[in-house]
Parts: sequence; structure tokens; C-alpha cells
Amino acid sequence: MPLVRRGLPVGEEARTSAGDLLELLARGSVDERWSAARRIAGELGDALALDAALASETEPRVREAIFTGLARIGSPESIAALALRVRSDDASIRTGALDALRTIGVGVLPYLPALLRDRDTDVRLLACDLAIGLPATETTSLLCQVLVDDPDANVCASAVEVIAEAGTPEALPSLRRCAARFPDDSFLAYAIGIALERVAAPSSNADV
Amino acid sequence: MANQDRVSEEDLRRLCEFLYRRTGLILGEAKRYFIERRAADRIAATRAADFASYFTRLRGDVDGEIEQLINAFTVNETYFYREDHQLRCLTTDLLRERVRQRNRREPIRIWSVPCSTGEEPYSIAIWLLENWPEVDAYEIEIVGSDIDTHVLEAARLGDYGKRALMRLSPQLIERYFVVPAPERWRILDDLRQSVQFTTVNVVDPAQTRPHGQFDIIFCRNVLIYFDDASRRHAAENLYENLMPGGFICLGHSESMSRISPLFSVRRFADAIVYQRPQGEKG
Repeated sequence: MPLVRRGLPVGEEARTSAGDLLELLARGSVDERWSAARRIAGELGDALALDAALASETEPRVREAIFTGLARIGSPESIAALALRVRSDDASIRTGALDALRTIGVGVLPYLPALLRDRDTDVRLLACDLAIGLPATETTSLLCQVLVDDPDANVCASAVEVIAEAGTPEALPSLRRCAARFPDDSFLAYAIGIALERVAAPSSNADV
Repeated sequence: MANQDRVSEEDLRRLCEFLYRRTGLILGEAKRYFIERRAADRIAATRAADFASYFTRLRGDVDGEIEQLINAFTVNETYFYREDHQLRCLTTDLLRERVRQRNRREPIRIWSVPCSTGEEPYSIAIWLLENWPEVDAYEIEIVGSDIDTHVLEAARLGDYGKRALMRLSPQLIERYFVVPAPERWRILDDLRQSVQFTTVNVVDPAQTRPHGQFDIIFCRNVLIYFDDASRRHAAENLYENLMPGGFICLGHSESMSRISPLFSVRRFADAIVYQRPQGEKG
């Protein structure tokens, strides 16, 4: 039979000091930086080192490992670092940070109010999407504030979309106020119409 | 169906969106009855007052409700030659690419993780012996791994009931099984001893790394059970366990593209699989 059974091929992983891992993350080859980023997250939990490496890291694969590592650490420092990166001018850093934050769930809650009030429209728009991972009452409360305050119709549209999926009926007055604030925006009117239907829909006694 | 178990059209839409976001599973209008039944079952099982309170429970993952719901929407039962389109893809396309430009002395390594009670790794072995013309030209190493040591014991024993064999022809059963007891079939000793079984938790790199790198990984219907952060982490572990150019096969409701950008999507006639790009050592 051509099938063979062998022992597992790799022996014990070589021990590397914390200092060596940090050195590899800063100056190693792509493979070494990838591996160091993962080990720094898993073994050292050093969010500051990972965040610092992002500043100069250009290899997408290593960036990805850093983002996953920061999300995995999940400490206030690592979440704050990710939240700051949402403001990056580099689109791939911004997207990577958002994807990582999205995996954290309720851990992003303390940072969302500031992101939702950011002066950068893109940051506010993307922050709406992060609210989808929160409990429905939190999602509704945070995004209702956006609906009644945010001056940008696109940001409001993003909030409306999330509310349509995850909002509670408490969002109904804010949805209507939002529609009144942008009377000439036909897309927003359409999106709000759908959200109103969904959020207001009776849940238990409709015929199907 | 009791009235409180009924779900409205809007509720179904929200549920489908939730499932899509969580698993990538797309449930269209044609599956409406299927969705409605399962949603109603879960509402009844959790004694939720209505869909709204059930959906709150689901989003909060109270008592692991997300896993319960996914279980209700997926077929958890395993059996020989399950999703055999991927096995066809294995011998028609994946191995052809993997053996191109490689030394015949290098073994081909295939990992089935999680392997549950062994149906998948044994299926891979039988399929290769039956369907890959070059099977005798290479050494092939098949490893089955699972986090559950009880299922691994059963896998090593290789003893199955009729239901697990429902997709196998009588000829295959005759060729690869013995009958130790009425209505029981056991994998031949030679074959049992050719497949290695190990314990592994795919989110723990200290457990995945010692397995080394594989040409092909079958990792079906497990990533959907993880939360987003663990899923990304597991994907990176599996990436490390793939040789450059190696392939990973997921379950039909799973999509690696929704988890990690590390892999390339490859579309073959029989299956969509994910590939670790060539030239990346890991």
C-alpha cells in the first residue's frame, strides 16, 4: 500500500527570547517577521511592539498577522491601537484595522463614540459598521445619535443599514428624524423606508 | 406550528443576513420553508417568547445559541465519501498541481482536521487507492486530527455502522472492510495502520505547528463554529501548516475569503478551494 505513516515531522520549536522576537519583527525576512508577529502576540501579548511595527511594515502578510495579533490580545492597549489605525491615510491599514476591530465584538464599545464623532467622514462611516457586533440596544443607542446628529448623508446611510439589520424599535423616531433632515436624498429615503419596515415589523404573529 | 413560533418575512430576512455574516451561508427564497422550520424549531427549543427575543438571544450568543443555530442549518452527521465532489477535485486537479515539478521521493501529505470518528481520512485513503492512477508512484501520508480524544479513539478503531457506509458501493465495502459483528464494518488493519491520528486544537499554534506542512488540508465545517477572532487566528495557523502552493478545502457553507486575505481562491470543475500562494515559505 502506498500509504505511509510517519511520526510528526517537526521537533520542539526553537526557543527565542523576547528580545530576539522583537528584533526579528523589526529586521527579519518576511517569513521571520510573520512568525515573530504571531509569536509576540501569542507568547508576549506585547500590543505596543506590534503597533510600532505597523508603522514601517509594508508586507501585507505580516500586516495581517499583526492585526490578527492585536485583535487576539484584546487588551485596552491593543484595541486603542487598532482604533487609532482606523484614521490611517493608508487604505490597507485602515481596512486591516477595521477588520480586526470587527472581530473583537463588544470590546470596541468604549472606542466607538469617539470614532462615530471623528471629523473624518470616512472614519465615521466605517465606524457605523463596527456597531453591528454589539448588543442590539447598544447598536441602536449609538447609531440613533448618528441619525439625528451627523451632518453627512452617507454616514447616516451606513447607520441606517446597520439599524435595519440589528436595530430595535427604539430606533423608529430617529429614523424618521433622519429622513426629515435629508428630504432631498432619495437613496437615504429609500434605505430608511426599508429600515422602518424591518425594525417595526411584528415579530411573532405575522403570517408567512 | 404554534403561533408564537411563527416568523415574519422581515424576521427571516434578518436571520438570513445574520447567518450570512456569520457563516457565508446564502439562503435564498427557494429555501424559505427550510429556514422557517429551523428558525421555529430553535425558537421553540429556547422557549423564546417570539422571534425578537430569540434574535436578541442569538446575537448575544446566550448558551452558545449561535452554534446551536448553525448546527440546525448544517448537516453534522459524517459518513464515508461525504462531499465527494472535493475528493474528485483532489484526484483530478489538486494532486496534479502538487506533484508537478516535485521529486517523487517526497511524500504527499494530506491532513483531515477535524477528522471526527475517521470517516474523512479513511475516505481520502480509499478514494486515492481507487481513483488516482499515480497512487503507487508516491508515498502518501494521511493524518487525521481532532480536539476530541474520544472521537480519535473511535477513529483509530475504525468500526462503523451501516449509515456511515451508505455512500460506498458493496464492492468498496468488500474491499476495505471486515465484518467483526453483525451490522458492523471495520476498516482493514492495513488501512487503519496507514492513517495517523493526533489530537489538535486548530486555534493553538503550539499544537498545529508540530504537524508540519501539508500539500492538502481538508478542514470542513469547523471554522463556522468559531467567533471571528478565533477564525482568523485558526486560518493563520492553517496557512502555516500548508506548503506554498498547497490547498485547503472547506465545507460547502464556508468561505475563506470572508475570514482571511492570505489565501487565493481557486475554482476547479468540481470544487472551489483555497490556495496558499506559491513562493511564501511561512
